[in-house]
Amino acid sequence: MANIAAQRIKREFKEVIKSEEVAKCAIKVELVNDSYTELKGEIAGPPDTPYEGGTFVLEIKVPETYPFNPPKVRFMTKIWHPNISSVTGAICLDILKDQWAAAMTLRTVLLSLQALLSAAEPDDPQDAVVAKQYRENLEMFQITARHWTNVYAGGPHVNSDCDDKIRRLVDMGIEEHQARAALSSYNWDLERATEQLFS
Amino acid sequence: MSSIINAIKSILHSMLQLFWFGKKTITNSLSIYIKTSGGSTISVDLDPTWDIKNVKEIVAPKLGLEPEEVKIIFAGKELGDNITISECDLGQKSILHAVKIKSRPKLPQPRHSLIDEDEEQGSKPLCETLRDTMFSNEDGSRNSANAEDDSSSTKVDKKVHFYVFCPTCKALKHGKLRVRCHFCKSGAFTVHSDPQNWNDVLIPKQITGLCENSPELCANLLDNLEPTFAEFYFKCSEHTSLGEQDQAVPLYLIRPNLSNVPCLACADVSDPVFVFPCPEGHVTCLDCFRQYCITKLNERQFWQHPELGYTLACPAGCVDSFIKEIHHFRLLTDNQYAQYQRFGTEEFVLRSGGVLCPQPGCGMGILVDDPDCMKITCINGCGYVFCRNCLQGYHIGECDSVEDGLKNSGSGGCYSVDPARVADARWDEASKVAIKVLTKPCPKCRTPTERDGGCMHMICTRAGCGFHWCWVCQTDWTRDCMGSHWFG
Repeated sequence: MANIAAQRIKREFKEVIKSEEVAKCAIKVELVNDSYTELKGEIAGPPDTPYEGGTFVLEIKVPETYPFNPPKVRFMTKIWHPNISSVTGAICLDILKDQWAAAMTLRTVLLSLQALLSAAEPDDPQDAVVAKQYRENLEMFQITARHWTNVYAGGPHVNSDCDDKIRRLVDMGIEEHQARAALSSYNWDLERATEQLFS
Repeated sequence: MSSIINAIKSILHSMLQLFWFGKKTITNSLSIYIKTSGGSTISVDLDPTWDIKNVKEIVAPKLGLEPEEVKIIFAGKELGDNITISECDLGQKSILHAVKIKSRPKLPQPRHSLIDEDEEQGSKPLCETLRDTMFSNEDGSRNSANAEDDSSSTKVDKKVHFYVFCPTCKALKHGKLRVRCHFCKSGAFTVHSDPQNWNDVLIPKQITGLCENSPELCANLLDNLEPTFAEFYFKCSEHTSLGEQDQAVPLYLIRPNLSNVPCLACADVSDPVFVFPCPEGHVTCLDCFRQYCITKLNERQFWQHPELGYTLACPAGCVDSFIKEIHHFRLLTDNQYAQYQRFGTEEFVLRSGGVLCPQPGCGMGILVDDPDCMKITCINGCGYVFCRNCLQGYHIGECDSVEDGLKNSGSGGCYSVDPARVADARWDEASKVAIKVLTKPCPKCRTPTERDGGCMHMICTRAGCGFHWCWVCQTDWTRDCMGSHWFG
C-alpha cells in the first residue's frame, strides 16, 4: 500500500477515535488488518428513524490511491433502505463515487452515511423494491425497516406479526432470510410471498 | 618536479595579485563576466568579501573610465558601493553590467518602494530585497505591511525562495529572479519598483524601469508611447550559469511553507509545499502532489483544457482551480512525464476530431481534415490503412460487426503476410474478445467500460465525458432505471 494512503488513514483513524461522535457512540472504526487497507466501520441508527437502536457495520476498503480516490464502502449489516441494496449492501452515494474529494475523511463518510439513514431521498436513485414500497406504502416500509433493524442490527423488537409470518414460511422449509426478503418485498402478504417462493 | 613548479607558480601568481590589487587576496574567487555598454564582455575573478567599490576600481580602467563614472547593474538594481559581492546572490559565471554614468542620474520618480530607505547606502540586487511573505500571497494589498514588519524584526527569511524547473539539471531547483529590458532584452536595466507579488513577475509589462543599454533605442522603438518595461525571468541557482540563454521555468505554485500549513492529503507539515490555484489555496506536500498526479494520470482523469492544455484541478474539488503552468508536472519522473505527454497528445488528437492508429504498438495520432473521409492511412507511423469508423483494416461498404471482423481476419484477405504479425494479431484478438465480453461502451463517447461492482448507475470516467448512463439500458440514466433496476 502506498505510504500516503496508510499514513493518512492512520491519522484519520485517530481523528475518528477522538471525535465527539465516538463519545456519543454514534460512529466507530476498527482495524481489520495491520496494513490499514481494510477497516470496519460502525454507525448507530439515527433517532426518530426506523433504524433507531440498531448498529450497522460497514466494510471499508482503502484503495492504494487514497485519498485521491474514495474508499470502497458497503453495509455488512443487512438493511432495508431505498438507497442501499438489500441484497449486497452496496451504497449509491455521490461522495463515494464522482463527488469524492481528497479533503473528505473516514469521519465525514461515516457521518454522511448516517445522514443517509435519516434522510432517504425517494426522488434520488433507489433500490427497485424498497423504493417502490417507500413511495407507495410508507407505513409498510417503516415496519419492514424496523423489523430488519431488530433482526440484523440489534434494534428493539417491535412487531411479532412479522415474526409469525416468517416462522410459518420457515416451517414450510424456507430459509429464514429468504423468507424475510420475500415477505418484505410483498408488503408482508404471506400468500404472494409463498407463491413467489414456490414458483 | 611539477609540484614544485606549480608551487612556485602559485606563489608568483599571488604576488602578482598582491601587486595588482593592493592588499587584497583572492581566497575563494568567483568567476564573473562584466558586460559593458559597448557590448564587450570582460571576465574577472572576484572575491566574495569585496564590495562594489572594489569592482568599479577593477572595471573602470578596462573601460578607460574613472571608478566614479561607472555604475554596476545586477538583477534590476544599480548596486551601491558598500554592498559586498557575497550579498549579491552571484553564482559562478554570472553577468554584471557596467554602464557609464552620463550625468548623475536623476532617478525617475519611483513608486513607493521597499528599498527606499536603503537607497542612500546603495541598493542591493532585487532578489535580495524581496521577501518570501510577498510571494506567499497573490493579494498585493496585504504585503507591504508584512514587509515592513519583517524589516523591523529579524531578517531570518529575508531572501525570497523561488522554485524552478531547470531544463539543464532536469529537476526542481531553487531559482534566482533576474530582470532584463522587455524590448531589447538587455540586462543593463534598473526597475523603478519592486514586484509585489507573482502577478507582477509573471504577467508581462507590470513593472517599469530604465534600460541602460540604449535608452534612446528603446524609446525610439516605442515612439515614447509607453514606458520601458521590465521583463522578469528565472535562472537555476544550483548550476554554473551557461550564459544569458540559460533560463529556468518558475514553478510558482511551489512555495515555502511559512505558516506551516499541513498537507491536505497526508496531513504532514513539510516545506516547500504545492499551493493549488483555488480561492482557498489548498496545500499538498510535494510527495502527495506527485501521488495525486500519478493516480489521476493512470485513470486518465487529467482534463484537456482548451487554453491550458492537459492539466489537473485542486484535489479538494474546487472550481476554477486548474494548474496553469503545466511545467509543474515536471515534478513527475521522466517516465511518468513521458506518459503525461503521450496521454495529453492523444486526448488532444481525439478532441480535435482525429483518430489514433489502432495497430498494436503504433497509436500514432492522425488529424483528418475531411470529416467524411473514412479511409485513414497512418502516415509517418506504421503505414496501416484502416476504416475510421470500425478501426479495422480499410474496407469498402458497411462495417462488419466485431464478431464478423474476428472471423474475417482469421480466414483470409491477407495480402500483407508477416507470420510474427499474424501471431501478434491473434493475441490482440484475444484481448479484443475479452474487452467485448467484459465491457460495454459509454453511450456517448464509446469508451469501453467495465463494471466491477456496485449499482447500475455508470458515470463515464473519461475526462471530459462524465456521461451518466445505465449499465442495463445502455442509454441515459433515468428515474425509471432508478426505480426498476438500480441494483440489477
